[in-house]
Amino acid sequence: MSKFYLKYMHLEVVNIMSFEPKILGFLCNWCSYAGADLAGVSRMQYPPNIRVIRVMCSGRIDPKFIFEALRVGADGVIVLGCHLGDCHYLEGNYEAEKKFDMVKRFLTLIGFDNRIRLDWVSASEGARYAQVITEFTDHIKTLGPSPAGGDNPDNEILEKLKAIEDAAGSDRMRALVGRERKITEQENVYGETISLDKFNEIFDSAIRDEYNRHRILVSLEKESMSVKDLAKELQIDPSIVLEHMVTLKSRGQVDFGELLGITPTFYKL
Amino acid sequence: MSEKKEEDARIGVFVCSCGSNIGGLIDVKEVAEYAKSLPNVVFTEDNLYTCSETGLAQIKNGIKEHNLNRVVVASCTPRTHEPLFRDCIKDEGLNEYLFQFVNIRDQCTWVHMKYPHEALEKAKELIQMGVAKAAKLEALENIVVDATPTAMVVGGGVAGMTAALSLANQGFETHLVEKDNQLGGKLNIINTLFPTGQDASELLESLKKRVSNNPNLTVYTSAKVKDIGGFVGNYEVEVEQNGKSIDLAIGVIVVAVGASLLTPTGKYGYDGNKRITQYELEKKLKDNAVSAKDIVMIQCVGARNDERKYCSNVCCMTALKNALLIKEKNPNTNIIILFRDLYTPGTHYEEYYRRAREAGVIFLSYKLEREPIVEENNIKVYNEYIGEEMSIPYDLLVLSTPLIANDDNKELAQLLKVPLEENKFFLEAHVKLRPMDFATDGVFICGAAKWPVDLTESITQGYAAAGRASTIISHDTIEVEGATSFLPEYNKNLCSGCEVCITVCPYKAISKNENDEIEITQVLCKGCGVCGATCTNHAIIIRHFTDEQILSEIYAFGGS
Amino acid sequence: MVKNSKSVLIIGAGIAGIQAALDLGDMGITVHLIEKNPVIGGKMAQLDKTFPTLDCSICILAPKLSECYRHPNINIYTLSEVQKIEGSIGDFTVEVLKRARYVKEDACTNCGDCAKICPVRGIPNYFDANLKNMAAVYIPFPSAVPPVHIIDKNSCVYLNYGICGLCATSCGAEAIDFTQKDEILEIEKIGAIIVAPGYGLMEDVNPLTKYGYKKCRNVVTSLEFERLICASGPLEGHLRRLSDGVDPKKIAFLQCIGSRSDRDQKYCSSICCMYCTKAAMIAYEHNNDLESYVFYIDMRAGGKGFQTFLRRGADEYNIKYIKSKISQINVDLDESPIITYEDYDTSEIKQMKVDLAVLATCIIPSQGIEKLADVLGIELNRYNFIKTDPFLPVETSMEGIFTCGCAREPMDIPRSVAEASGAAARAAEVIKGG
Repeated sequence: MSKFYLKYMHLEVVNIMSFEPKILGFLCNWCSYAGADLAGVSRMQYPPNIRVIRVMCSGRIDPKFIFEALRVGADGVIVLGCHLGDCHYLEGNYEAEKKFDMVKRFLTLIGFDNRIRLDWVSASEGARYAQVITEFTDHIKTLGPSPAGGDNPDNEILEKLKAIEDAAGSDRMRALVGRERKITEQENVYGETISLDKFNEIFDSAIRDEYNRHRILVSLEKESMSVKDLAKELQIDPSIVLEHMVTLKSRGQVDFGELLGITPTFYKL
Repeated sequence: MSEKKEEDARIGVFVCSCGSNIGGLIDVKEVAEYAKSLPNVVFTEDNLYTCSETGLAQIKNGIKEHNLNRVVVASCTPRTHEPLFRDCIKDEGLNEYLFQFVNIRDQCTWVHMKYPHEALEKAKELIQMGVAKAAKLEALENIVVDATPTAMVVGGGVAGMTAALSLANQGFETHLVEKDNQLGGKLNIINTLFPTGQDASELLESLKKRVSNNPNLTVYTSAKVKDIGGFVGNYEVEVEQNGKSIDLAIGVIVVAVGASLLTPTGKYGYDGNKRITQYELEKKLKDNAVSAKDIVMIQCVGARNDERKYCSNVCCMTALKNALLIKEKNPNTNIIILFRDLYTPGTHYEEYYRRAREAGVIFLSYKLEREPIVEENNIKVYNEYIGEEMSIPYDLLVLSTPLIANDDNKELAQLLKVPLEENKFFLEAHVKLRPMDFATDGVFICGAAKWPVDLTESITQGYAAAGRASTIISHDTIEVEGATSFLPEYNKNLCSGCEVCITVCPYKAISKNENDEIEITQVLCKGCGVCGATCTNHAIIIRHFTDEQILSEIYAFGGS
Repeated sequence: MVKNSKSVLIIGAGIAGIQAALDLGDMGITVHLIEKNPVIGGKMAQLDKTFPTLDCSICILAPKLSECYRHPNINIYTLSEVQKIEGSIGDFTVEVLKRARYVKEDACTNCGDCAKICPVRGIPNYFDANLKNMAAVYIPFPSAVPPVHIIDKNSCVYLNYGICGLCATSCGAEAIDFTQKDEILEIEKIGAIIVAPGYGLMEDVNPLTKYGYKKCRNVVTSLEFERLICASGPLEGHLRRLSDGVDPKKIAFLQCIGSRSDRDQKYCSSICCMYCTKAAMIAYEHNNDLESYVFYIDMRAGGKGFQTFLRRGADEYNIKYIKSKISQINVDLDESPIITYEDYDTSEIKQMKVDLAVLATCIIPSQGIEKLADVLGIELNRYNFIKTDPFLPVETSMEGIFTCGCAREPMDIPRSVAEASGAAARAAEVIKGG
């Protein structure tokens, strides 16, 4: 290491240590919010970084909330619900779990999966609430500021997050995650029960495909582009871009634009 | 319901000091001052105790003087104080849903005591988020539907008759539907009752008499429920009796269809003659046809094993009852009861067990892993305590078998849209705190249809289901909080009819109507919001926790 | 809504009393809910988790407590006891002694400043099974209802000696009121009464010396164990031996302590078989190295899902069930309990040394039941529980007075809740039927 770096290394360390993360928490009224109140009543102390949004059930958490939170610069997002089996609305937290799992798979594609957490805190677990928040805050501190936040957010990351949010919000993905419990625990319309492993295989491939498709759409939003240019910008193999383009066209989401020489371009409808 | 434009919102923010609980750590005046700078805020104030009479008066004053149409209180926790403040603004003519609570005590000053500066900033940011949501809040009306003050009880056994009588005695027009040609259910085959020893027919006749004498109670025997439409307070039930259809307008339904007897074919050489069930023994005892000298009873036949994991509650007491009866008639009869765990809980049943022992009934335990072997005239049983296999002679073997779920439970469950558990008994809303309710409002369960129980509990549960059902039909209307899920007219074109919402609603509040449109029955909706988060085309809206409202909090958090 | 002019009086605000109050309140009937403790909730509020669902007890109870408190038709009287009744079914008049709380209920904000400053400490908190201490001004647990503090008049130095009064001066809401007096209230036009005082525990009246209780700090009762494993209890859920603070690796749960016994009570307390397995499961969740031994005579698990629960205990939670009869418990030099028992499966007398022994003590009638029965004119059975006919299970010997729950026989929460709704239905029949 150069002498220069050694001289100023401590400033970098100081920078990280003075980083105070912005953390958004979604708490369910009946369990985790009550647990958080109990932590207060019992005067359990925890870091002041978290801002809480109260919902009635963790099952209310639409994936778009987590993505929007990250897009507006949250360094960490935590969702807390009732312990499995204890949901005030019977099964809401099981649905929350599935949706969160999908969110996590999407965010893994861009290395953001460690900035989110799903956990369960009951109304009587004041100490546990304080512990979970402390752990999560410390964890986010070590990760450092989110590249999507701050005064100079990374535009590429922001675009990727938008693509993820759109992909997760597509009817295909929402239908898959909405039916996941039924298909894997009961049966599908053909009377078959699909194993969770098989489901996840299909799920993961759908996630990859829809992510890439929506990245294409985000790029095309700005200007019409050819397959070759898209492949270069998005760093995806051109043959794969072409495959997706065909699907997007058949879905009616893109169409042919003007010709650049002999190369067709596409635009977003 | 009009859509209030954001520019119309006139928000008042009241910041509570809560004595020194908040004010002792952060400067609430500074917080109130900061709140003035937020969009749509026209008035702010700090109070010592916003929840006190003084504080409430200040809120009402603020609403009046500044023409507020949204109120934000920043103090303790909505879980204790939201109803209080909602009532307060309602008194001043404001819709109670135009209120937003910001928690700056339990989740701020009380937990960041060493960081007063950070707690102050946090309080400001939380208020910024609360104000953003408040601007998006809309007035909501509670959902009100009529409730027909009638009840239907399906099943005319002890539990059903008890429930029907209680409802009728409370003044409700009650319809009791029984598929058999007589009332009484299993009470018809029971000989005597434990722990009193009285004749079952005494209790049966007394119940039947009370049923037939009650002017509010109509009985339909040889009748089945054919079809059920509607929802809580407003059911349309079609009953089929002797080929004829009867249509009834019903407010609440109580399921009391009881359980069935198991015939232990293939177990322990059961033949219905020398090796019989306890219920066949009841009949024999009624006919005074028991002359055996050596009687052996085996408990847990076909129960508490891998095939049927549960304990049927009544078999041990039934065996003791019959053993005592036989012993009283004929003290010289040898009676040996082979058991695994003897189920005689509580005060009276445990006493009964002692009586049986004192009367000379012999109890020999066996283990599941080593069941008794029944031969033509002897039974081989290994007992741990003695450490030996014994050979017991018998001329009558009585098998205590469990109650099992009725075959037609599934059909009824589908009609009522209620679930069954793994043994096909009906599944209640919550095993501990809502044992008589179903998750779907308006339907209740009691007796052996839910789980094998003795007569005492059947009767208690019959009353209990009547009590629970009565809470609904005691009023002309049913009212639920307005924060429900709905599919607005302007989003109907977004709905693709995929039915995923139907799949995820735990209260079965969503269905498709005759026009193939998605319908969310407001009065059944509990507002959890899962359907909204799941709807594949983002068509469903969750009132009071709409996407727009939650996103506004998120954007305020982001600092926009 | 048709407002009924007659009301129902419910004695006892445990889960049964609360359920009956809510049902009647929801039917539009006015309820007077009388509770002798300063807060409602009974024993269920003290439990950590409940069987067979392993729900957090206070989590499922708290919404009911709030609902009761806010219900327009339910009037709660805490620190109150029924002293006298007159009249008969359809028209009772009841005299209630309401003890002074010394805190104004409509002013107290439950901030806790008074408890922080009170100099009188070291008072055993009954809610924590006397394992934790509190001040003379207190609230038994944070989410209690009513959310108002109380001054223990026996320990308060101002009330007894005229000195201190720090709580009054530090209370920002001016809620402390030492001038409060016990009151006699007369409630008229009561149509029906429901008696639901719950149950007492054998350790309250029996020193259980032959089991080493009180002699050995590592012999605890089941209620004490509940508080020790409870996340909001004295050890915040980190189970440790009270003698040396070590994590117990081997715990014995002894059923039928004082029940099914010729020497103590002959009857069966019904719920111990289930709650011992539950307690062992919760302890295992905190420490996966734990070995649990349940000593039983007969395993009684007839309720819904109960047998499966026990199976899970044996299969997944390292619980071993020993069919046995307990003779006594002695104490080792390191205060570890040594259990002497007859092993049924081998017919041998054996001894087992464990780190912690939990006694499932007999469920006895509620303290003061005899006086209450006298006041109400109702009969008790030979066990001193409220007497009921097996086929009229919620009726007492006095017309118009109903009962439910553990007041009449030891039973679990689902049965208590069902009985409470049943008693409510019977009371409603009286009020509405005329």
